[in-house]
Amino acid sequence: MTTFTPFTLWPLLFSDTFKTSFLGILLEALPFVLLGALLSSLLRVFVPDEMISRWIPRRPLPAILFGCLLGILFPVCECGMIPLVRRLIHKGMPLYVAIVFILSGPIINPVVYGATLMAFRSHPELAYTRMGLAFVVAALIGLILYATVRKSPLRLSIRREGSEVHQADTRGGRVAAVLVHTSDEFFEMGKYLIIGCLLTAGIQTFMNQGSLSAIGERPLGSYVFMMGLSFVLSLCSTSDAFVASTFLHVFPAGSLLAFMVLGPMLDFKNSLMLLSLFKTRFALYLFFLIIATVFTGSVLASLWL
Amino acid sequence: MNHSRSIRLHYLFRAVILLAFALYIGHLVQQDALHYYVAPKLARWIRLCPVPLCLMALSLGLQAVLGRSAALCDCEHRLPRSGLGSSALYGLFLLPLLLGFLLPDRALGSAAAAKKGIVLSYTAAEPGNGAKFTPSNPYEAEFAELAGKLYEQPVIPVHSEIFSETLGAMNLYKSQFEGKEITVSGFLYREPQGAGQPGYAVSRFLVQCCTADATPFGILLQPGTQISLPADTWIEVRGKLHVALFEGVETLQIAPERITAMAAPSTPYVYTNADAAAAWEELQRADIK
Repeated sequence: MTTFTPFTLWPLLFSDTFKTSFLGILLEALPFVLLGALLSSLLRVFVPDEMISRWIPRRPLPAILFGCLLGILFPVCECGMIPLVRRLIHKGMPLYVAIVFILSGPIINPVVYGATLMAFRSHPELAYTRMGLAFVVAALIGLILYATVRKSPLRLSIRREGSEVHQADTRGGRVAAVLVHTSDEFFEMGKYLIIGCLLTAGIQTFMNQGSLSAIGERPLGSYVFMMGLSFVLSLCSTSDAFVASTFLHVFPAGSLLAFMVLGPMLDFKNSLMLLSLFKTRFALYLFFLIIATVFTGSVLASLWL
Repeated sequence: MNHSRSIRLHYLFRAVILLAFALYIGHLVQQDALHYYVAPKLARWIRLCPVPLCLMALSLGLQAVLGRSAALCDCEHRLPRSGLGSSALYGLFLLPLLLGFLLPDRALGSAAAAKKGIVLSYTAAEPGNGAKFTPSNPYEAEFAELAGKLYEQPVIPVHSEIFSETLGAMNLYKSQFEGKEITVSGFLYREPQGAGQPGYAVSRFLVQCCTADATPFGILLQPGTQISLPADTWIEVRGKLHVALFEGVETLQIAPERITAMAAPSTPYVYTNADAAAAWEELQRADIK
């Protein structure tokens, strides 16, 4: 075995950490992105336009409830969510219902509930509050968007072309058409995913979490710190509860709640994807709404916890 | 440039990249290196990915070679128009592949643990737990049961299958484990130089989904322990448990009697176990055989 002096060893260790985190995040997201892209293409090729809108309740409140509970049916991780939601919007899902689905889907589903309960063995009330807060935040944002947004905020509005003509010409028929669209979606989302993974891995490799936790010692500082951490770490919603539980005796329970509700709704990875889907102004408005409601909600919830 | 020709070219590039991704995953599976990056429950899904990736590459290739020009359009997904845009896009996709193929697969170690902050006391002992290993709420029942089983051992083994659970259970009832003998193995973690003596810990990374959520769990070696081994060496420690204050928190520590270097295990990380007490029984039975 070769020996290294400490000076040559340190940069090497860093690049190993970087590579291992970067590929770890990317490989983790890959099956979900592929699944999301595949579902979206299946919808595009096989489900006629406007069909989805017939399933969605007309009145806003039942529609929002529908959006919140859709996550139980489609337990797709947040990485697979964006291509799927984009297609759903094009197929006639109202914007506010789609946003409610994007926000609640990664949290309100049985897998995440189980993982949270397991991570907080001695504080099961945190798991219930997480589900409850996610529901309230998603529904509230849905209502605000229903009331305030009129124009389509989509970056690229698809022309309603006669899609039948298109698919008849794809070599290999409908199956090949689905696959071609899947790879289009994959490359579309993949670039944001890779940039997100690069940034996240960079932060994980070079940021010292211990040195930042000093921010958390000020009043409400722990909320700011935990929300910032959940944004930059870009963890999967099924595993973030465990990371949060390691802070259990350092920070108040409300800030852990903020970490577990904000992270799946908004992080490096998916904010880039949201920016690719929506016009910048709308995306920033949405980010603001998410951060503000999660912050307020978790501070209020901590009074009750 | 001819529009349909440029689309064909894009499709070919994409087909090649998709195939390369499929190949990389195949390479990881074949080298048995997937566990350096993701937890086994997720690895199952990643192993399936080459199938859709190859199919996607195949149908892209088909369109590129045989597709009629009229049918090729990018009206829905805009393809990059400039050469610069395209090279940036495909360069981005090649980056993980290059990193993956060129750099060796290594597990996370001390450097990452120092950045993430090592977890030394995972569960806080609830004060007023007078009776032996009685859970204060039903959710601690599993840890209490495990703690009871661990306590009966003359030398407590820390199995890697239930690493975090064992540490958690002992931490919950730390005062009762005072003075017990223990053997534990992990990589040697050295506290970054701070005030006072260097601190050492035996540590393992707990991975939930992937390396992004890897959390370093460890048990402190009594301050003042002299160790000449470099950080990240895999060691087996045998010693007595003590409760002492570390950075103001009551923490379990080992007063080591013997520290031996060992070969790195084939799976460097540890994972959570849904039923640690049952897993313990199984491991004990396997040990006797």
